[in-house]
Amino acid sequence: MRLDEYLEFETNERAERRRLAREKDYGILDHLDSFERRFEAEVSDDAVVGSVSPSIFVGRSDYPNVSTGLLSPVGREERAASFRTSGAWYDEGVSIADVFERRTSLLNANRGVDVNDAGIGGEPGVHDAWDGWLGVQREVAIADRPVDVEIGLDGTPDLDFEVGVEDVKTPTGPRAAARDASLGENPHVPRPVKKTLEDDDWRAEGAMTYLYRRGFDVYAINTILSAGALGRGEDRRLVPTRWSITAVDDTVGTYLRGSIRDAPSIDRIEVHRNEYLGNAFWVVLVPGNWEYELVELKAPGSIWNPDPDAGVYLAAASEGREGRTGYVEETAGAYYAARLGVLEHLHERGRQAKVLVCRHVSDDYWGPVGVWQVREAVRNAFAGEHGTAETFGEAVRGVTEHLPISLGRLRRKSTMAAGLQANLADFAGRDE
Amino acid sequence: MFKAIVSASTLQDALDSVSVLVDECKIRLNEEALSIRAVDPANVGMVDLTLEAAAFESYEADGGVIGVNLARLEDIAGMANSGDLIHLELDEETRKLHIETDGLSYTLALIDPDSIRQEPDIPDLDLPAEIVVEGAQLDRGVKAADMVSDHIRLRVDETAETFLIEAEGDTDDVDLELAREDLIALTAGSADSLFSLDYLKDMNKAIPGDAEVTVELGEEFPVKLHYGFGEGLGHVTYMLAPRIQSD
Repeated sequence: MRLDEYLEFETNERAERRRLAREKDYGILDHLDSFERRFEAEVSDDAVVGSVSPSIFVGRSDYPNVSTGLLSPVGREERAASFRTSGAWYDEGVSIADVFERRTSLLNANRGVDVNDAGIGGEPGVHDAWDGWLGVQREVAIADRPVDVEIGLDGTPDLDFEVGVEDVKTPTGPRAAARDASLGENPHVPRPVKKTLEDDDWRAEGAMTYLYRRGFDVYAINTILSAGALGRGEDRRLVPTRWSITAVDDTVGTYLRGSIRDAPSIDRIEVHRNEYLGNAFWVVLVPGNWEYELVELKAPGSIWNPDPDAGVYLAAASEGREGRTGYVEETAGAYYAARLGVLEHLHERGRQAKVLVCRHVSDDYWGPVGVWQVREAVRNAFAGEHGTAETFGEAVRGVTEHLPISLGRLRRKSTMAAGLQANLADFAGRDE
Repeated sequence: MFKAIVSASTLQDALDSVSVLVDECKIRLNEEALSIRAVDPANVGMVDLTLEAAAFESYEADGGVIGVNLARLEDIAGMANSGDLIHLELDEETRKLHIETDGLSYTLALIDPDSIRQEPDIPDLDLPAEIVVEGAQLDRGVKAADMVSDHIRLRVDETAETFLIEAEGDTDDVDLELAREDLIALTAGSADSLFSLDYLKDMNKAIPGDAEVTVELGEEFPVKLHYGFGEGLGHVTYMLAPRIQSD
């Protein structure tokens, strides 16, 4: 196994993360205090906030009655664009604490809405989708830069913040009930987005794929989908942010999987690795027809497995050449986010492969920052050197040496580690 | 030319065995038998079905090939009660299949057979072990394995002369050990292969509980499952590629 040659654990970084983790509570409380001071300075007597909004948030509790909010960095407008979740966060190397700081810097001014009310041809609702609250929200979602807005608030914000235990969602910051909102400018909307918005005869999946092919990243697409701006007229709905993220990863991934369906296989086994925010990713590519599995190992003491005496928690989900027929019960949004990163790489190479991704969540991962972290870590796992192995068994053994579980346990949990799917052509003209 | 009358249950059993693997297939309407051979899009599972002319109440065919959407045809066959007879007649002009059962008539548009994936060649495998087991026993093993894992190991213990169905899950294990006396027949040989339960479950679904299933098995080789239906005049062979363990 020639894995070790290119692997060096960056011990200083790990120590630094531990320190951050210990200080997490104070850090976030500081962010909230400074938000409160800014908020008091910025909000006028009639509780109107003039700010810019880089994005929206649609909550999912109590669906179909969702809370839908305009996010605005009250008093820190110059940094608005950087507060919007995107792949750039990885390139900047934001830390877990940075993510919390950014999220808690955005005021979520929200109102409750029935998702069906945002439909064009749905039940007549109190809100018209093209002006008023939903109209402003839609404009913010489809614009490609932060939009000037004025938001009327109903009372003062609740300066709490929320850290969900769910992997997909990013932490959310202060919330306030909103009365109304208006645009302070005519937002800039890219042409392809206008096209998908205006065509109300276009199924959402097709429109998402179109935007992706026109160079929009999944972050922009899920915001647009979330605002109910994609799909056939009568099907358009507000989509909770969390669901829209997974829907876009799945849809774009399915498109990419189709694009490599008949592509030649890679020639040799490759082992790629990346580590980000306390999560290590091992990506093993094996020659053959597309097959994919994500195995997650969650260390005791990490966010989803908080008991330090508990063993490593394992979860896995997989698909064969034709994709999955059932819902992903384990690994959830991370499954589709990691799959997207892998498929983008294979699509770019014009190759297919069998792909085993192992995600090791260490106890350094003290707060879930959102599934973008999985997507970006896997996307960036292919840069630079990679390890090789003669056989898949050798590769899996090599990876297991760096994981806190035995090969036997991995084989029990992982479909691919237990055995790779052969096809009948492999046996044509062979005799035992 | 194709014109036949068949019992609804025989037709349903035949269609079920194919539809677990593919959505569309070619049906060969030969003089002595109707036959279907199809492989799933991933080329992992294959089915080879023959329904002899004698399985029909009446059967006339002259070697044509038609392409059908299996789900549609199954739906129509499902409209008949199992004791009912189904009349099938091909209209060569319109390329439609007329189906009639108990006063209900249905005209099924056919698919151009050339647009359907090619029928596979059957790999010629000489598998060392052969086990004949009741469909119900196989069903027990598959169902139990599915509770703990998504793959299943089929193997023969040559010295103990037993057939073993095993599954290992994250925490739990399942073992079904069938000795010679639990089986209809056993030819022991070196056989140990791992299979995806996704596929085997689907195949198992189509196998009647009272069928005698012949299982041919090797070392990390495809498994062949044969069984009969329709009073022994229908024959199905499944072939499933293994999952290969790598050392």
